[in-house]
Amino acid sequence: MSGSQQTGGPNLPSDDEPDLILQTDAHKPAKRIPVHEWIRRKLAWIGRLVRRQARFFLVVLGAGWGVIFESFRSHAWRRTVRYEFVTTMNNIIGGGVSASLFAGMLTGVAAVSQVIYWLGLTGLAKMTGSILVNVVIREIAPILVGILLLGRNGMLSATELGLLTIGGQVRSMQSVGMDPFLMLVLPRTLAFTVAGFTLGILFSMSSLITGYVMSRISGVITNPIWTFLDDVAAAMSVTDYAVIPLKFIMVGFVVGLGGCLTGLTATNEDSLRTLLPRGFSRGMLIVMMVSVLFSLDL
Amino acid sequence: MEAYSAGPLLELNKAVPSFEDSGLPPVSFSMKLMPGECMIVEARDPSRATMFADLCSGMVELESGQVSFMGLDWANLQDRELNALRGRIGRITRRASWAEFMPTHLGIILQQLHHTTRSLDDLVAEAVRRSESFGLPGVPTVSPSLLSDTDLTRVSCVRAFMGQPHLLLLEDPLEGGSPELYNSFLSSVTEARDRGAGVIWLVRSNAVWQSYRQGITSTWRLADDGLVAVRMA
Repeated sequence: MSGSQQTGGPNLPSDDEPDLILQTDAHKPAKRIPVHEWIRRKLAWIGRLVRRQARFFLVVLGAGWGVIFESFRSHAWRRTVRYEFVTTMNNIIGGGVSASLFAGMLTGVAAVSQVIYWLGLTGLAKMTGSILVNVVIREIAPILVGILLLGRNGMLSATELGLLTIGGQVRSMQSVGMDPFLMLVLPRTLAFTVAGFTLGILFSMSSLITGYVMSRISGVITNPIWTFLDDVAAAMSVTDYAVIPLKFIMVGFVVGLGGCLTGLTATNEDSLRTLLPRGFSRGMLIVMMVSVLFSLDL
Repeated sequence: MEAYSAGPLLELNKAVPSFEDSGLPPVSFSMKLMPGECMIVEARDPSRATMFADLCSGMVELESGQVSFMGLDWANLQDRELNALRGRIGRITRRASWAEFMPTHLGIILQQLHHTTRSLDDLVAEAVRRSESFGLPGVPTVSPSLLSDTDLTRVSCVRAFMGQPHLLLLEDPLEGGSPELYNSFLSSVTEARDRGAGVIWLVRSNAVWQSYRQGITSTWRLADDGLVAVRMA
């Protein structure tokens, strides 16, 4: 033995391998990578990452336009598409009602009743309606409903379609003229859209009513519920009447579309281990993006 | 079904498939299938047989040449026309083709529900009739994963013959299937041919079709140098 030991593979680091050469022999200095080469590799890595992420973003944009465009064409709504739409919508709304109501109740206890209490204590009770509208209904509700949709059904769609793609069933469908975009992506995305709006409204009502009940029980407010709801409605601007439903609709749309596309763009190298984390992180990102975009502009 | 009689039903005209896309040898494929004909294609490798069926369905990109079905070149069609034309193909494939989230009875009639306006009662009646002819007690309503391999082969046959397709691409369902499937399969093939459908029967071994040899119009072998005509004795 010459006294030198080298760990790791051959002395030719690839793009993906760390540029690390361990040598204990003082007579053989480690082969150093020039700084410009190191920078080039890091930039290439960042470039690959950006390209991969941007590709999905562009696919979502294109497919989103496709869903909207096709949904207005009467002959896109064949029996199979209608069946998939109704089935998915029943699954999402039927299965998600109790979860949304419960999450709304928790938000009512944790946020609404606290807002009422602290504003009352500081003598700012007149602002209760506008703060509830701006914080709970406009900001918190779409995000929580989006997360519920993503966790309950978005991941399911990503997994189902991913397994169909990897297993070859999607290609089998194509070979007999059944377009997976028309059969699966269009109806599911629209079902998520309707469900997003429905569950969002249920969530908001549930949180407001629970918050009122908690405050009434603790004696913080004495108004009847109609007066409380009237205060909240009066605090809503004309823009809120458009933005809040639009936010629920958009959240449902992007969660459905993102889940379906994550599944359909799966490759043979994918498995549940890769699909699920990817679907979840993408879903969270697009829910947050929708929330932020609406908050920035309006 | 109006029988197609304006020339070859399916024609591969010096079609060179993309190797990257299909794994098929990038050599020239040529053949013609007339309405009512039954062609045997012997392919040892099942995945290659599936890819050949894909080539016939216009699913494989070509380096050169053309593949035409019912006089229309697959390469010149828009998505909507492609799908409508593929809706006229009945297929039995070794590739996974049953979606787990859909019950079997719906999977059987799905293609017809999508491409036609036939009433649901009509489709169900045909599915029941065909299921019984293939030895099933009725149309299975459970998930496809709960069916045995034999029953899954039977329902694949039922699905392929539903709705009087113009072209049948059949990856041999008789191999490893039950012997009682044999007669019902051949009678369905004959019935389809009588009304003008073309049949491509992809087999691994030439033993399965020997008793039907009088009905076979041509025999080919899928080899490394493409589609080779086999002379029948």
